[in-house]
Amino acid sequence: MRALVFAVYLFLYAPIALVVLFSFNAGRSASEFTGFSLAWYGKAFSNTFLIQALVNSLFIATVSAALAAVVGTLAALAIERMGPRMRTIFDALLAAAIVVPGVVIGIATLVALAAVFSVINPAVASIWPGDRPPQFRLGYASIIAAHGLFSMAVVTMIVRARIAGLGRDIVEASNDLYATPLGTFRQIVLPQIMPSILAGFLLAFTFSFDDFIVAFFVAGSNTTLPMYVFASIRRGVTPEINAVAASVLVASLILIFAARFLMREKKARDAGGAE
Amino acid sequence: MALQAGTRRSLVTAGLAAPAALWLLGFLVLPFLAMLVFSVGQRAPEGGYMPAFTFEQFLNLPARATAFANTLVLAPLGAMLCLVVGYPVAYYLAIRAEPRHRLLLVSLIVVPFWTSLLVRTYAWMYILGSRGLPNLLDMIGLPDIRMLNTPGAVLVGIVYGYLPLMIMPIYVSLEKLDRRLLDASADLGARPLSTFIGVTLPLSMPGVMTGTALVTILLLGEYLIPQLLGGGKVFFIGNALVDLFLQSRNWPFGSAIAVTLVVVVVVVLAIAMRIAWRFAGTRRVDLV
Amino acid sequence: MTKFRTTPITAAELTAEFMRLKRGSVSRRHFLAVTGLAAATAILGRSGAFSLDAHAQELGTQMSLATWPNYHDPATFEAFTAKTGVAVEVNVFGSNEEMLAKLQAGGTGWDLFVPTNYTISTYAKLGLIDTLDLSKVPNFDPATQNQRFTNEGTIDGKAYALPKNWGTTGIAVNTGKLKAPVTSWKEFFEVAQTEGDGRAMVHDYQLTTIGNALVSLGYSFNSVDAAELAKAEELLIKVKPHLFAINSDYQPAMRATDAWMTMCWTNDGAQLNRDMPEIAYILGSDGGEIWSDFYAIPTSAANKPAGYALLDYLMTPENAVKEHIANGTPTTDSRVLALLPAELTSNKIVYPDEAALSKLEFGAAVTLTDPARAEVMARFKSA
Repeated sequence: MRALVFAVYLFLYAPIALVVLFSFNAGRSASEFTGFSLAWYGKAFSNTFLIQALVNSLFIATVSAALAAVVGTLAALAIERMGPRMRTIFDALLAAAIVVPGVVIGIATLVALAAVFSVINPAVASIWPGDRPPQFRLGYASIIAAHGLFSMAVVTMIVRARIAGLGRDIVEASNDLYATPLGTFRQIVLPQIMPSILAGFLLAFTFSFDDFIVAFFVAGSNTTLPMYVFASIRRGVTPEINAVAASVLVASLILIFAARFLMREKKARDAGGAE
Repeated sequence: MALQAGTRRSLVTAGLAAPAALWLLGFLVLPFLAMLVFSVGQRAPEGGYMPAFTFEQFLNLPARATAFANTLVLAPLGAMLCLVVGYPVAYYLAIRAEPRHRLLLVSLIVVPFWTSLLVRTYAWMYILGSRGLPNLLDMIGLPDIRMLNTPGAVLVGIVYGYLPLMIMPIYVSLEKLDRRLLDASADLGARPLSTFIGVTLPLSMPGVMTGTALVTILLLGEYLIPQLLGGGKVFFIGNALVDLFLQSRNWPFGSAIAVTLVVVVVVVLAIAMRIAWRFAGTRRVDLV
Repeated sequence: MTKFRTTPITAAELTAEFMRLKRGSVSRRHFLAVTGLAAATAILGRSGAFSLDAHAQELGTQMSLATWPNYHDPATFEAFTAKTGVAVEVNVFGSNEEMLAKLQAGGTGWDLFVPTNYTISTYAKLGLIDTLDLSKVPNFDPATQNQRFTNEGTIDGKAYALPKNWGTTGIAVNTGKLKAPVTSWKEFFEVAQTEGDGRAMVHDYQLTTIGNALVSLGYSFNSVDAAELAKAEELLIKVKPHLFAINSDYQPAMRATDAWMTMCWTNDGAQLNRDMPEIAYILGSDGGEIWSDFYAIPTSAANKPAGYALLDYLMTPENAVKEHIANGTPTTDSRVLALLPAELTSNKIVYPDEAALSKLEFGAAVTLTDPARAEVMARFKSA
């Protein structure tokens, strides 16, 4: 059994190792190793369009994850208080947001927005007093909204599960002690669901950062990192892409370990404080 | 305050739910309605949409029968392979691995998620291309074996991409298992295999169901892996969909296919939930 | 044609011309020429005293180009950026259909793109491209262009697109790996199923893939006849399991010898043959495509001044020559032809004999919009 497990780990990491290996390739080819060199890292980080795509992805992921975390938490709290009929409707819509394939969301959003813009833009232009009326077009907002939809549904699901597991007696005790509802929320409920919110945020960030197919349709003239990588694969990859991928991997590893470290710190502090 | 407690409560609830509701309405319901409208329309002569009301797009669905067949065969098959490969790993991690190693090993399963799927799949294009594995096979005397751009390549890519997603729920489920149950079973004279089939497997079912359902449903809508490892020859529904919008510019037919895909996904989800309810015996089902 | 002034100008004359410019009665080019300022700046510009681009601020810092694989010398864009300060983002596509789909969906942000001859009338009809303001492209000279290749860029006497280069679609064969002779499209499809099993590629769009299948059956490249299309579809679906891939980006696969035979454009044929002499480029004896590519500016362009600036830069013979040497395409401009090295003009891949060209057909606009051809291609790909 150990052999099988080892083989699986090898299977999982061999391609990653290859990617990192070729990022140090001295030659132009991403398939023939000809020597060791850091040149591609230099090229990657001085490529304005690559950096722009990276920054776009980071920005979009952060904003959509943050929005998803906030709106999702609010929704989770709301659903707990709803009557059974509204709850079923909401549950169904949220399940749909998670389960509907990204390619459908991407195309449907593109089609719907194209239709909406074709109506709104002339209307705005006709009543706009100035010379250059604002033009609604696909851009950051459309990507953030499309990514955030899925993420928000996931956050809602995670936070709801956590809320369901909370003890009602603590909340009641807090109310008995004359705390305002907002106070109860801030001091009792929020700290307990915070880990779930954070987990949801991280998941949302990962999803948005890595998404290709939704961004491909609704990005307009912007480029995200996955879009850039996909286009490069079509153009014929140079190790520049490998350099970027390896850097992203290292950055995310650092993030994971930092998060782990902070969690452990917090746990120790909480444990110490509770005594 | 003139407002009654009940009304105020409703207002607060409405206020809390409003952002999510608006988001869902604007970016889920509206786009889907747009798709529905387009799916009963007609293709404009130069491509795009022409208002109409006809079911000819849905009647034309068999034209993509192979794409549907590919998806409906390879997606569950891929999920099954993930299960077969992933379950032993989850079992080992949850039950056999030493506790101090466990955290590291589990993290190592999750880390591949943090490398772009695109780049990892591209690495497979190299491994399965003529400079990779086939080259090695050629050296040991098995010449001319083609691996890239076949359904097999897509299958490998699928398993590779979704394996962590299958392992995690099963691991969590197995980790919650009370070890004493296993000990008790052994004490009562059961052989290891009987213990596994009688105790471990049933108790891990929630995780297995979650993993399988999740992977299958996500696979139904897959686009990237068939695109990169299929060489334009292996089409999933997702690929057919993108092609209809980007090459044929046939928005109505594409919308019809999209609507059908959503229906397929919902049906699969419903089946999965039915099975889960039957297994658990109740309607409240644990996810892990 | 505006005459350049070479005698000194009086203050009154200068002011008069300037007022005409301000009122918009004359173009900037006319003003510069007539006042002698053009001559002055040309001299100064050549000596590097200051940049020729009087309106550098308007150009912005970025622009976006949509083009085809392996079609440009990267140095060209670097030089353009050095001269104007505008960075060029290059987006690569493998088919006209995809470019059209993106423009139809809106919001592409392209400032310049490369459509093929048969698409221009459709783009104009859909209002996706505008007539070009030729005053902004002073380095383009219609008199030096070969009308055989450039007439489709002009509709009703107005220029919608300016020619980039022409070329052909033929068969690239790795003669080191494939011994069977491949001289026609009929043989292409036959060898793909026999000796070349699992090693042949076709393009990812309808014009050439369906077109060459039709040609191999003896029909016209541009046919939209239902019966002929059905036969072509039958052939394509029969061949599909034997193909290596359906992809317009075939160079990586040919270079890695994953594929040994592919439908190929002139520029790729020339580049492959230059780096791997065993790869031959053959024009089908039963027919095929002859084409010309153009530059056009979308109506939705975000940075039109930069689009025009790059267009003008690329129309300049000195810059165009470098492009042609790098990408191996034949030129439509006699000025460029005069500057090309003999090894390129005598290259039979780049400049085939007239006899080989006689059976080739230009793509027809109807194939772009015909739903039947689009659907046959889509069915072939999802089969």
